[in-house]
Amino acid sequence: MSDATRVSSGQIGRSLPRVEARAKVTGAAEYIHNLRLPGMLYGKICRSTVPHGRILRIDASAAAAIPGVHRIVTAEDIRTVIAEPYYGPAFHDQPILAEGKVRHVGEPVAVVLATDPHIAEEAAQAIVVEYAPLPAVFDEIEAMNSAAIVHDILKPAGTFPDLKHLAGRSGTNVALDFHLRRGDTERAFAAAEHIFEHSFRTQQVMHTPLEPHVSLADAADGGVTIHSATQTPSFVRIEIARLLGWPENRVRVKTAFLGGGFGAKVYVKLEALAVALSLLARRPVKLALTMEEQFFTISKHASTFRIKSAVDGHGHITARQCQVFYNGGAYADIGPRVAQKSGFTATGPYDIPNVAIDSYEIYTNRPPAGALRGFGVPQLVWAYESHTDLIARALGRDPVEFRRRNLLRDGAPQATGTVMRDAAISAVLDRLAARLAWDQPFDRGAGTLKRGRGLAIGFKASISPTTSVATVAIAADGSCILYCGTVDMGQGSTTAMAQIAAEALGIEAEAVRVVAPDTDVTPYDMGTLGSRSLFHMGNAVRLAAQDARDKLAALAAETGVPPGANLPISEQFRRKYGMQAGTIVGAGSYIPAYAPPDSATGLTPNATPFWMVGGAGAEVEIDTETGRVRVLRLVNVADAGTPINPGIVETQLTGAAIMQLGFTLFEEMQFTDGQLRNPSLAEYKIPGIRDMPDRIEAETVDSAQQSGPYGAKGVGETGTFAVSPAIANAIEDAVGVRISELPITAEAVYRALRRAAGDQLEDL
Amino acid sequence: MTPFELEEPVLLGAALALLDPEDSSVRAIAGGTALMLMMKSGLYRPRRLVSLRKLAPALDGVRSAPDGGIEIGAMVRLSDLRRSAVVRAAAPVIAETLLTHSNVRVRNVATIGGNLAQGDPHMDLPPVLIALGASVRLAGPGGERIVRVEDLLTGYLETVIANNELITAVIVPPQTGWRTAYAKVTARSADDWPALGLAVSVRVEAGIARDARIAIGAATETAMRLPGTEALLAGRAIDDALLQEAGRAAAAEAPVVADHHGSASYKRVLVAVHLGRALRQTIAGAER
Amino acid sequence: MTAPRTIHFTLNGAAVAATVMPHQSLVELLRERFDLFGARESCGQGLCGCCTVLVDGRAVSSCLYLAAFVDGAGVTTVEHLAADGDLDPVQEAFIETGAFQCGFCTPGFVLMTKQLLDEIPDPSDDDIRHYLSGNLCRCGAYPEIVAAVKLAARRQRGA
Ligand SMILES: Cc1cc2nc3c(=O)[nH]c(=O)nc-3n(C[C@H](O)[C@H](O)[C@H](O)COP(=O)(O)OP(=O)(O)OC[C@H]3O[C@@H](n4cnc5c(N)ncnc54)[C@H](O)[C@@H]3O)c2cc1C
Ligand code: FES
Ligand code: FES
Repeated sequence: MSDATRVSSGQIGRSLPRVEARAKVTGAAEYIHNLRLPGMLYGKICRSTVPHGRILRIDASAAAAIPGVHRIVTAEDIRTVIAEPYYGPAFHDQPILAEGKVRHVGEPVAVVLATDPHIAEEAAQAIVVEYAPLPAVFDEIEAMNSAAIVHDILKPAGTFPDLKHLAGRSGTNVALDFHLRRGDTERAFAAAEHIFEHSFRTQQVMHTPLEPHVSLADAADGGVTIHSATQTPSFVRIEIARLLGWPENRVRVKTAFLGGGFGAKVYVKLEALAVALSLLARRPVKLALTMEEQFFTISKHASTFRIKSAVDGHGHITARQCQVFYNGGAYADIGPRVAQKSGFTATGPYDIPNVAIDSYEIYTNRPPAGALRGFGVPQLVWAYESHTDLIARALGRDPVEFRRRNLLRDGAPQATGTVMRDAAISAVLDRLAARLAWDQPFDRGAGTLKRGRGLAIGFKASISPTTSVATVAIAADGSCILYCGTVDMGQGSTTAMAQIAAEALGIEAEAVRVVAPDTDVTPYDMGTLGSRSLFHMGNAVRLAAQDARDKLAALAAETGVPPGANLPISEQFRRKYGMQAGTIVGAGSYIPAYAPPDSATGLTPNATPFWMVGGAGAEVEIDTETGRVRVLRLVNVADAGTPINPGIVETQLTGAAIMQLGFTLFEEMQFTDGQLRNPSLAEYKIPGIRDMPDRIEAETVDSAQQSGPYGAKGVGETGTFAVSPAIANAIEDAVGVRISELPITAEAVYRALRRAAGDQLEDL
Repeated sequence: MTPFELEEPVLLGAALALLDPEDSSVRAIAGGTALMLMMKSGLYRPRRLVSLRKLAPALDGVRSAPDGGIEIGAMVRLSDLRRSAVVRAAAPVIAETLLTHSNVRVRNVATIGGNLAQGDPHMDLPPVLIALGASVRLAGPGGERIVRVEDLLTGYLETVIANNELITAVIVPPQTGWRTAYAKVTARSADDWPALGLAVSVRVEAGIARDARIAIGAATETAMRLPGTEALLAGRAIDDALLQEAGRAAAAEAPVVADHHGSASYKRVLVAVHLGRALRQTIAGAER
Repeated sequence: MTAPRTIHFTLNGAAVAATVMPHQSLVELLRERFDLFGARESCGQGLCGCCTVLVDGRAVSSCLYLAAFVDGAGVTTVEHLAADGDLDPVQEAFIETGAFQCGFCTPGFVLMTKQLLDEIPDPSDDDIRHYLSGNLCRCGAYPEIVAAVKLAARRQRGA
């Protein structure tokens, strides 16, 4: 039976409620947060109090004397169970516990193990660590040429062949530099009618999943089981196996529902430490962070983006130069990948013949930065869409018309040289303009309340190449179990995967049970990140289900069921095995084609398996006496291909937009000399229900990703892309000032208004 | 949190006796919302906590006083205060302020006594109570004393309450002829501690501000009155020019400090703008 | 005394006793002693509402509530709402409107919505926003949560 001839069971485009909905509203849903194991110890981490310093002495005697303390562990102890205790997805630069020196405030230095978490906490506070401070650097631009060096030598991991050339580099804070050159920018700038140059910055922010990081390790019988709130169980298994020098099959990683992830829980976070502690204590160990500790664990890159464009007399952008500096903090995490992959699209969704891109991942003495819902792309869109609006205004052109004139269309090569396919960039812009009634007059407010509107559009190349594997088992009664390693952290993957499997099998999604990721049970998956799962795992699930279906057809043929006869599956099994017995297993494995960028030019004919496109429109009201910004309306339009579950896609889009609204208006990790001043939700504010715009809308345009499962593609990050520049563009539209640095606080707007009036606010 | 003793006396005298005049690691606990935050962060490690929970019957309730004022028991929870018909009639600004104060769950537990005794300059109620001319009744081993709220608060987490004294009630005098408005200004998310709290009480007769009480909180080291600005308003006809003048005066007078919420110079701008707006609101109310 | 003490209270309708330490919080007690995981600690500061339970019918943050203080009180957790197997109309409305993603904040929002509708059966948008302003949802399901509250209100009023 070929796919084309079979009848759809109508699972695609169904807004089915999440399959685990009941468990979530009753509080019964499983999270690793809830897990306890018999005989378990609690670990509490003692953290660095200086941003950069040599560790002179760790005095744990007072802590060890507290009744109930099982043991204090430092880097020295870790070495007795893990010979080379450094980890990381791109660089093996992160020590399980600080060795010799610390590189950021909040870095783990020692751990207390106790049966009672209160005792562990009290003892962790009683550990005395003495440091000899070293010169530290916090700003990404300063770090480019600073005497303060965060890592003496670069240690790229073997995982990515294209990082090999960085091995052994020393005396630099540049962890990765990516360069792309296409066309002749110099000539284009020389010939340009207009040249525009701007610089934009973004602040360091944190994911703040409401379930903080938590990992349990249970080392026993020559193996270890790790229960972890991780987005990447397969990666954790491989990395822990590497650290221990064990085969993968002695490491088991299990997860459950995640109380949010957003990129905070990718790769190894607490797992290596938990494993080492369990090996040392010979008991299960639980490490559960507080909200405060999460701020020292992972964050989103602060960035500086210098952008320069050449425009001809017809309003065509002829060249664009981009320099992007990502502040990676003290450990690279996945930052080098962020710098490189986002570099592919730094010039924006425009058809620009001559481009030059330089993208840098830079070490500083701040808490590490990794991936956060967009892999660097929201930082880029912030800059290039603010810049694009500035150009349109300077040229007296309508921002929509100017964008339309320069838009990248299917069939045209993008900056990397990859030809665009299935990217509904024009449709997204058109729908955005239509929804905002862009060609209609707009109420501009009155008195001290001024109104404006703005829009922006961004796109992203999915990370590649990555692999997903899935299996589908059909039991003898015809019921179906799907084994896939995609982690459901709220994005609804369990439901969507069940829908895809069901569609391929011609059954109802409700009839498919999806097994929670467990590396002993579910096959390899690269990870739940970068909006890759629906596409990659979705394809693997579809292949697995089709394989199972083909095997069912073979069973029917073998048992003499005439084609077209509606014999229940259970009956076919019974005919073959004489009783309710047997299993049919379908397997599917998916890896898209990919060509790595040329090391000299950064160009590649195949940068990504699919493009994500997201546009946002904002209507704002500014209180000109205080600078306060109210977002009255926020519209998101996205290309999600053909949505598998439109209801879930819509919540993904608005949810992402709301998160980005926080990053735009007030979220900010504030530092003084490397000390984080606001590591709590009391001082680091995230959007609440009263921060909602009066109207918030989401729409997906008609489109199909030919290579996607049933035309679908990823969407988890799309809603974040364009929100910040849409708001900044609306602010300029309202009050004529340009904000080039996030967050756009009331004070920032007020100061800009005063500056524009030639009456700068003095700091007394 | 680290271990401590917990006592739950049922009589005020016993509670006072369990407190220690010399030892600040012995404290009263009312709703516990402020204390729990400090204990969880390790900022405060008590030796003993004396719960006022079982004293609540004596320290509870909102009563109208014969003079038209009200008396609020120290253990009255903020949610009850917000719903109290007596409060809504005598000093509606208290109920209005509580709408955006912390959140439902905190208000269900936090008490007005704990709110004032905490001495946190970022709180919303102290400037409001100062503008209303309120006082607290303090009970100690030697008997009772009455202290005006503006004299109660002396600095960051500092009050004149002795280690072995307790607030038993808050007294709000009659407000005949006075109109009060409170501006809670947040600088980050909508649901936040105030960056600036500004309470304005005026007695207006025929367009003339006869008398004014202006109190500021959150932007300063402690909640306090702005007597210079009050004096400027007294006896003047209220018009836009006066409101602007008063705004400038308040911005100059208030010892504003910078913090997470914003710079000092920006907060002065907020003081000037919101003083004018709050005054306008009180006048609009007076004319109604 | 720093020593443990025995408290008696009503938990989800049943009389129970427990030994607690003075410094133990209510959320810890519910999880460690009673295996009730619907209330969970996230911010630990009274801000997010993930740890919401009802004490004598009033919503509180159990992360900021001493376990010892529920002695003699009635405690209701989210687990009580569907104890008989049938979902509460508020829970049904949350499912139908898709008012959550990861679900970590959901029990808190459900309990707060219950209280809101007890107090204000026909809440305005403003009522909803003010009442739920102390609950955080990092997944940003707020638009759907508002829809869920309205749907539940309509159902409960029989409209
Ligand atoms: C999440 C959250 C948000 C908040 N948001 C705001 C806000 O927006 N605006 C705002 O103004 N406040 C806010 N607060 C602070 C809140 O108002 C206080 O925590 C609360 O009022 C303290 O009251 P309590 O009864 O819980 O005090 P407790 O914590 O019990 O006690 C606080 C202090 O007062 C002492 N004390 C208590 N009662 C008495 C008494 N009768 N006599 C003498 N001393 C006493 C205690 O010893 C302790 O030192 C917030 C708090 C939280 C947790
Ligand atoms: S954990 Fe209690 S309110 Fe956030
Ligand atoms: S659903 Fe994830 S935090 Fe609300």
